Amino acid sequence: MGPPIRSAIAGGLMLLSLACLAARGDEPYGRGQFEADKRDHWSFQTVVPPVVPSADDAAWVRNPIDAFVLAGLREAKLKPATPADRATLLRRVYLDLIGLPPTPAEVDSFLADTRPTAFAAVVDDLLSRPQYGERWARHWLDVVRYAETNGYERDGLKPQAWRYRDWVIAAFNADKPYDQFLIEQLAGDEIPGSNENSQIGATMLRLGPWDDEPADPLADRYDQLDDIVATTSATFLGLTLRCARCHDHKFEPFSQKDYTRWLTVFSPLKRPQKDRSDLDRDLGPYQDVMAHQQLVKQLDARIEGAKEQARSLEYQVCQRAVAEGRLPLAVPKVVLAATSQAEPQAWRYAFEPPAKADWIEADFDDSGWKTGQGGFGTEGTPGPVVRTVWNTPEIWLRREFTYAEQPFAELRLLVAHDDDVEIYLNGVLADSAVGFTTEYREFPVSPAARAALRPGRNVLAVHCRQTTGGQAIDVGLIAALEQPANQEVATAMKDLPPDALQAIAADPAKRSDNQRKLLAKHAAAVQSLARQLATGEERSRFEEFEKQLAASKASYPAPMPKGYVWYEEGPTAAVSYVFRRGDPRQQGAAVDPGFPAILVDAPPTPPSPTEHSTGRRLQLARWLARPDHPLTARVMVNRLWQHHFGDGIVATENDFGVMGAAPANQPLLDWLASEFVARGWSIKQMHRLMLLSQTYQMASTPDPVAERVDPTGSLMWRFTPRRIEAEALRDTILAVSGQLNPLAGGPGVYPKISRAVLETQSRPGDGWHTSDPLQAARRSVYVFLKRTLLVPELEVLDFPGTEESCEQRVVSTVAPQALTFLNGEFIHEQAQAFAERLAREAGPDPAARIERAYRLAFCRVPNERERAAVLEFLARNKAQVTADSQGQLSDAAADLKALAAFCLVLLNTNELAYVQ
Amino acid sequence: MSDSRKREPLASREAMLPRLTPCGRTRREFIWQAGGGFIGTALAWMLAQEGFGGRALAAGSKEASLMTPKPAHFAPKAKSCIFLFMYGGPSQVDLFDPKPELTKRNGQPMPDLENDPRFDAKRTNGRPLLGTLWDFKKCGQSGLEISTLFPKLGERADDLAIIRSCHADSFAHGSGLLQMNTGSLRQGYPSLGSWVTYGLGTVNQNLPGYVVLLDHRGGPIGGAPNWGAGFMPAGLQGTQFRTSGDPIIDLSPRGGVTRAQQRQQLDLLSQLGEMHRQQLPHDTELAARLESYELAFRMQQHAPEAVDLASESPATLEQYGLNHATTEKFGRRCLMARRLVERGARFVQVYSGGGHFDENWDAHQGMKKNHELHCAETDQPIATLLADLKDRGLLDETLVVWGGEFGRTPTSQGDNKGRDHNPRGFSMWMAGGGIRGGQAYGATDEFGYAAVEKRVHVHDLHATILHLMGLNHEALTFFHGGREMRLTDVAGNVIHDLIA
Repeated sequence: MGPPIRSAIAGGLMLLSLACLAARGDEPYGRGQFEADKRDHWSFQTVVPPVVPSADDAAWVRNPIDAFVLAGLREAKLKPATPADRATLLRRVYLDLIGLPPTPAEVDSFLADTRPTAFAAVVDDLLSRPQYGERWARHWLDVVRYAETNGYERDGLKPQAWRYRDWVIAAFNADKPYDQFLIEQLAGDEIPGSNENSQIGATMLRLGPWDDEPADPLADRYDQLDDIVATTSATFLGLTLRCARCHDHKFEPFSQKDYTRWLTVFSPLKRPQKDRSDLDRDLGPYQDVMAHQQLVKQLDARIEGAKEQARSLEYQVCQRAVAEGRLPLAVPKVVLAATSQAEPQAWRYAFEPPAKADWIEADFDDSGWKTGQGGFGTEGTPGPVVRTVWNTPEIWLRREFTYAEQPFAELRLLVAHDDDVEIYLNGVLADSAVGFTTEYREFPVSPAARAALRPGRNVLAVHCRQTTGGQAIDVGLIAALEQPANQEVATAMKDLPPDALQAIAADPAKRSDNQRKLLAKHAAAVQSLARQLATGEERSRFEEFEKQLAASKASYPAPMPKGYVWYEEGPTAAVSYVFRRGDPRQQGAAVDPGFPAILVDAPPTPPSPTEHSTGRRLQLARWLARPDHPLTARVMVNRLWQHHFGDGIVATENDFGVMGAAPANQPLLDWLASEFVARGWSIKQMHRLMLLSQTYQMASTPDPVAERVDPTGSLMWRFTPRRIEAEALRDTILAVSGQLNPLAGGPGVYPKISRAVLETQSRPGDGWHTSDPLQAARRSVYVFLKRTLLVPELEVLDFPGTEESCEQRVVSTVAPQALTFLNGEFIHEQAQAFAERLAREAGPDPAARIERAYRLAFCRVPNERERAAVLEFLARNKAQVTADSQGQLSDAAADLKALAAFCLVLLNTNELAYVQ
Repeated sequence: MSDSRKREPLASREAMLPRLTPCGRTRREFIWQAGGGFIGTALAWMLAQEGFGGRALAAGSKEASLMTPKPAHFAPKAKSCIFLFMYGGPSQVDLFDPKPELTKRNGQPMPDLENDPRFDAKRTNGRPLLGTLWDFKKCGQSGLEISTLFPKLGERADDLAIIRSCHADSFAHGSGLLQMNTGSLRQGYPSLGSWVTYGLGTVNQNLPGYVVLLDHRGGPIGGAPNWGAGFMPAGLQGTQFRTSGDPIIDLSPRGGVTRAQQRQQLDLLSQLGEMHRQQLPHDTELAARLESYELAFRMQQHAPEAVDLASESPATLEQYGLNHATTEKFGRRCLMARRLVERGARFVQVYSGGGHFDENWDAHQGMKKNHELHCAETDQPIATLLADLKDRGLLDETLVVWGGEFGRTPTSQGDNKGRDHNPRGFSMWMAGGGIRGGQAYGATDEFGYAAVEKRVHVHDLHATILHLMGLNHEALTFFHGGREMRLTDVAGNVIHDLIA
């Protein structure tokens, strides 16, 4: 970008422009600026397909992977393990590819198939099942920090985020080429032919946490961009670019400018939001979306116009009715029993509970009670004036009043209470309320109590309870005297508070904000009132407006599909700057979008904008998807290897930098990377390559010698056994118990979470819509992912944090896992279902039940010692259950209980939780 | 806690070369400092297996656990910490930071502050100043001024070091809670208790080392991330102890299963597990998983004992306020905290306030009703906790911290009776565990709005707490996402003046 005009200008102008040039590209930019030791780092070099070593053990080598592995083992003087037995291999590959164990029938059929192609057939079968995508999408979701809420105080919903989860599942199932998979996630809205599907891919950029009430909005904006920088650079480049946010990376050849270049690619992105709500966007080809939104806008305007006309007619009608005296603006009231608000009123009261329940009756003798002036309570409690101190837990109150037999329309209580209160009129409950008010409020009297009002002497009886904080009570009774003659008008007015009526009557130009809000709130009531008061001619005008409305509504187009994506405002965007110490208030040099200097020879050309965006992301995506990119293919095949074999060939799967781990076998990694590109970025082909290797099919037999030389097994001298992930374990348990619901796709489901766990929320149960048991039994990938509340069965088994890209899960073993899976509700339900299944499928013979259990859970039959141990347990446990129940359990019930106890044990075994 | 296949980049990194970490030490030194004095592979803490007095560990194993006690960086003043979290934001000017000028100018606009160059005043909303409704009293020999809302706590004044110049960065509960608990406004970082447990382990393997006691009205805004382990292993997160029913969720057998029946189940599990293990005899991970079931079984005994108050004397129950409705709930939590610390728990967090608005210290609507309630609930229990710890000789080794996520404005809100959130200046206090009591540290301006003297940021509080527990906040690091992460990020100063 060094402009040629530079030499032609001189003096002050030149100084000025130099300052600018230095900022925008005059500095060296490219790998040439680095020392050789950084420049020559292995992962920054383009992949050169290595020569496949010639194998000295041709029988062992099934494909080039094995040749590379064997070469590594030979160098370390190690021998590969023997092949795994076939049942073990089958369980391994099932859990690996679909996250579920094979059924007994599938085991039988595989063991019976002695053709050499039998295993390849299984692999092809599994890769073609929809469960494959459900399993492998989850690995990807870890890397892109997938969650369906924003975290923080409100932990608000990310609308439509689940569509991205389904998109990833579908992409794996369809074997979407990885270059395309990558491009759509970065720039699905910028590619030629962009459509709903490609745009959903770009949801990836918006999955991070979001504070909808940030302490510092500017810093927060850059935190959001930092989340994108961190996730995209770790996910696709396998580099820790994030560390260069505040200063040049201390150990990697990434400058703060490189960080900013990458950030600048994403800085045009805007979040669709309304206040604190996160919004989704219409999806589809840009022109279609524009046309749709234009049409909707027109229709909205037309509808709003018709509504506005109708409203103004409604107000005219009402105003005329007021003028004609047909619509009373305020209903006259008469006070039957005054509150102590203005003048103190005398009450009888007691702090101790009355001996009998008849204290509410009119004829109860309250002469033994104390007399005091209302209101009652503690000073400072909002609401009534306190004239008599009440600071005990409860108070009982009574007072008389006289009713002179005026006719009235409605009877209302005027009450200030703190806290719970019950009010009786002549012994009949008039109203009760929990909690407290901070001012006097009107409440309708119950129909029964209204009927109890009689001419002459009446008695109000009140009971108030203190629960928390201040306390106070005062009660009065009022009657609304009359209502409009027209019954329809009276009915229509019922829902309108007096101040809303005042607002209608007010001059439209002089209505206060408050009045406008009130009218909007009561629009439906005003509408029905106006139609009651309208003349025939006005009625037909209303009908005309309604016809217009209906016609406009009917011509609405079907809604566009929606997605949870960012958007850009247009082809240009504001200039980005390096921030000193990462502080967005300390602007440094201006920066253009670009890629880390260590990975390029020269600055990239400026991106070509699209009609609606800067084109920056598409340029980045295409650069990443170049066949000769040194990192993209290596990073992805390494992830595939990681999930098949436990660790990546580079064990720091998100860090291929200088600080990252060296590859355990670089020729192997490079060969896989070049194959990946050569095979059209096909992930399924890479699975086949890896799974059909001898390396994958080895036994996990330990070897003390090899363990000493290579304790982590990175040289692949055996298949390293490992615990299956939380989702695979939960799904396996559901499959074994027979409860798994295979339904695919759609919004997340909410398995039951115990009350005790929900109580850790500030609003217990908030945002957790417990699903019915059938929905709750769906695969774990469909469980709703709420950032502040995780399903315990998944959380305790090291479900990853969703705040950042997680490349490799922790495997921890702690006692709370054992508690959850010994005593939790989920595991008990599954053990019970498993036991019932055994009883149903294997009949009454305990040995047959045990065999069935082993075949379902472990894909094998029990050996003699196991059978004997379980038989003994069943007998002992049944005896214990019977004894503990003290004869309350039938023999059959005790049998089933012992069987369920055994099932629970089986679901907790290492053999179930590990693949080997 | 076993963390056997934690795939932090450490593993292969160490295999390559000892190398300077961003903290300027080699990885191995880091492990010696933070991880403990065991010799073995540098990976040992990750390959860790429970020490659970276990029978199942392979002989000669060099593995240690994240949870086993580890030596501090230097001699600690405090072995345990009880953090009394006043969720919602208690008002400094009504409790610990007397401001006569504020009361004198009650009802007047707040002068100058909107344009005061010392701070960015944007939350006063043009509302008038609101004087305090309560008197302050000189307490103890030190004469520390404490509100009459805390009469009992006032009697312990000589134990307290009140920090009047705290400040934080968020006006919102959600991120404010996160910052006070994890040091970061952003979600996803380990909480203080996780850092302490990570650095020091815990002495009683039959109980969780990091316990959280929530308010009976609900959790704080933001929920579990406030006691989460962030990017550390989940085993380092706080365990919620409940005050009724099972103290730990899913502690007791369900569905009428008796302890004898469960013992039979565990015996079968162990029997089948041992048979399975014969195929993989050296696999310590499998052994650890079997052992974790035995630990869970032992926890069923130890956890209820730890929170069973039956063995406490009637006098103790009375002093903690368990016989009075107002103090009963919080008093119970304080007493449980003392029992847990006595049994070796490393970090106990006790919440006062849960849910929303007046269910916690968030006094927008009215100071009087809100603070009278929450002070009355906590005054006696906290005073008793301090006295009880002292009587048992535990106060010297137990750091007690009091405070919320922020304080409140000196200006009014809500019918002129309440106060809004204010992170610019607020009060916290510490006691016991190496603290020099009877002092007030730092100051806010004349209205109590912003910290102006000897300002103490949340990072400084955290650095000081870690220091008192024998941990150097700059050396206690966890490698994550390409760098050594710290509780205090790149900030934090130990406030030595607070320390005896």
